[in-house]
Amino acid sequence: MSVDVPSSVDVFIQGEKEPGSSGIVVVLGFVTMLTFLILYGILFPGRDMPVVSEVLPMFEGVFDSGIWFFLLGIIFGAFSILATMLTEATSE
Amino acid sequence: MDVIVSTLAAFWLILALFFVLIKRGLWIFNEVSKSLSMFMLEKALGPAIDFVSGRSGSASTAWIIHGFIWTFAASTFTFVGLWLTHDSTALHSFGSWGYHPNSSELIYAGRLTALFGAIGMLVIGASLYALPKLSGTDLASESNATLVSLLWTFSVLLMFIGSQNSVILGITILPVANILLSLASTAIAINMILTISEATQDIPFPGWLILFAVIGNIAAILAVFVSGAYDEGTGQWLLFHLSGGTFFFCGLAGVSLYSASVGSGNPLWSKSLVAFTLFGALVTINPMGSIDFSMVTDLFSLTSSELAPSSRDVIAGSFLMALSAIPIIAFSANMLVTMRGSDAFVENPDSPGIAELNLGSWMLVPVAIGALFVQTDALGSVNELTGISQSLDLMAIWLVMVPLSIGAALNILPRASGRHQLSANRSRWAYWMMTGGAFLGLLITLMSDFTDMALTESMAEQGASINDELRKVGSVMFYGTVIGAIFHCTNAISGQFRGRIVEIGNTSSISSISIESYTLTSPTSIRKILASGATLDTEVSPSGQSEEEGSATEL
Repeated sequence: MSVDVPSSVDVFIQGEKEPGSSGIVVVLGFVTMLTFLILYGILFPGRDMPVVSEVLPMFEGVFDSGIWFFLLGIIFGAFSILATMLTEATSE
Repeated sequence: MDVIVSTLAAFWLILALFFVLIKRGLWIFNEVSKSLSMFMLEKALGPAIDFVSGRSGSASTAWIIHGFIWTFAASTFTFVGLWLTHDSTALHSFGSWGYHPNSSELIYAGRLTALFGAIGMLVIGASLYALPKLSGTDLASESNATLVSLLWTFSVLLMFIGSQNSVILGITILPVANILLSLASTAIAINMILTISEATQDIPFPGWLILFAVIGNIAAILAVFVSGAYDEGTGQWLLFHLSGGTFFFCGLAGVSLYSASVGSGNPLWSKSLVAFTLFGALVTINPMGSIDFSMVTDLFSLTSSELAPSSRDVIAGSFLMALSAIPIIAFSANMLVTMRGSDAFVENPDSPGIAELNLGSWMLVPVAIGALFVQTDALGSVNELTGISQSLDLMAIWLVMVPLSIGAALNILPRASGRHQLSANRSRWAYWMMTGGAFLGLLITLMSDFTDMALTESMAEQGASINDELRKVGSVMFYGTVIGAIFHCTNAISGQFRGRIVEIGNTSSISSISIESYTLTSPTSIRKILASGATLDTEVSPSGQSEEEGSATEL
């Protein structure tokens, strides 16, 4: 008894819909990143984070109010509206 | 001198003149004036008119989409303005770019963009669809109306710039914005008058409300300038409220009543109440709005004057504001009863606009009563309630006018564009976010205002720390309105491309005349039959089904 196996085709195939579990991979990556950051703090206590500790002081005096968290959301929203216009108008 | 009565007399006279001209026309010059007006709306604009689509419903769609985007902008300015009331240095880093935002300027920008950008564009967008339908004809010039939406948007953009920096390169920005806005208003008014001149049926009252919204605003401006009251505080205050009572109240009432019937599928409950709404809105003074009428002096480049009414003006103004309770309650009641039954509230997935209309109709009466107290207090120079004026004004905008205009737009946009919003679920989320944000945020801010007033009255040396906390919570809560506006924007835009195609079925009647017959297809309650517009004279016809036990199935 033979089993029908689909023969390979020489074209690139991509699903139209996103599998629900693909988000887990992204979350897993995010959690891993946080874990490594915490681990860095445990292994090298009191030492500044490379690169990040040099970049963040540049924003001192700029983002020193809680309103910036909300403004970031508004900026994200504004760009999402713009992106919706562009992608909807140009998609097939 | 009695400014209020004399200006109102001029206002009513101009309105009567407009009405006679619309009904009677220009005698033998009718055809010439119509041809000339159509030429001015289309051919005279040259190649510009070819840039826009003349498809049926395109003008309404363009105005409504612009309105949604301005709703987002207005909510953002208001949110930041509210935040800066308790944290005035939050955005001081913008100072390095030469921009120094402050609370009052941003709230002013929020008011201007909400009134003229969001509410104004949504109301006109809905009107451009509703008025031709009510007249049984097509819009005179879809192309011109679509093109004018760009001019209107540009003028609102100038208003925002002018609210932050009044003079740029020696030019005062707000009057320029007002000139462009007036130009766009005139084009829309001509377009609407040409449309109803081709009416094939008697225009129901919501249509007249829409028409008087546009021409009433022009009449109000003319009346104040003709009577010479423009350089007096009372005249400027009156112009502020006449514009609110005509363009905003009549416009909102017209499109809301139309879309409440269309959206819920119920006939308009009472024709008489719409007549009361129209007549009352034109003969009374609408109290809603801030006590600060500087918007008028800024837009018309007038010299700002103190509100110093004579005693007869105080009596006339207070009486006419109290009288406005009649059209306000009539409108609210008519809306609520029209939307009755048939799951026409939040749970109806096909009519997300109904929930917004419901909110606006409910909030109208308490906010109007609050505004009446504040305005009477200001007009009588008592000034004990000045402290809550701003919050009450924001409540009128975000809990009455914005919900009514968005509700009407949500019901009309699918009919005008041929596609539903992308997701009814996202519309519901947007509704809850906007409602929760505006209601809780502004209510908590109002609590803080009352605390401030109490502290001022008791001449306390230090402010209460709870006050800042309340303002902080209020502004954070108001952020929900911004998120809701973003949801509405993306939903409406995506819906134009991927939304479910509208299948126009048996649309509702626009008449308030009761139905003559009711077909009974299944057992139902008398309440439901009456709710659908039936009266004691309605003939109930059972459909062909047998109730006899054991009888054969009818094929």
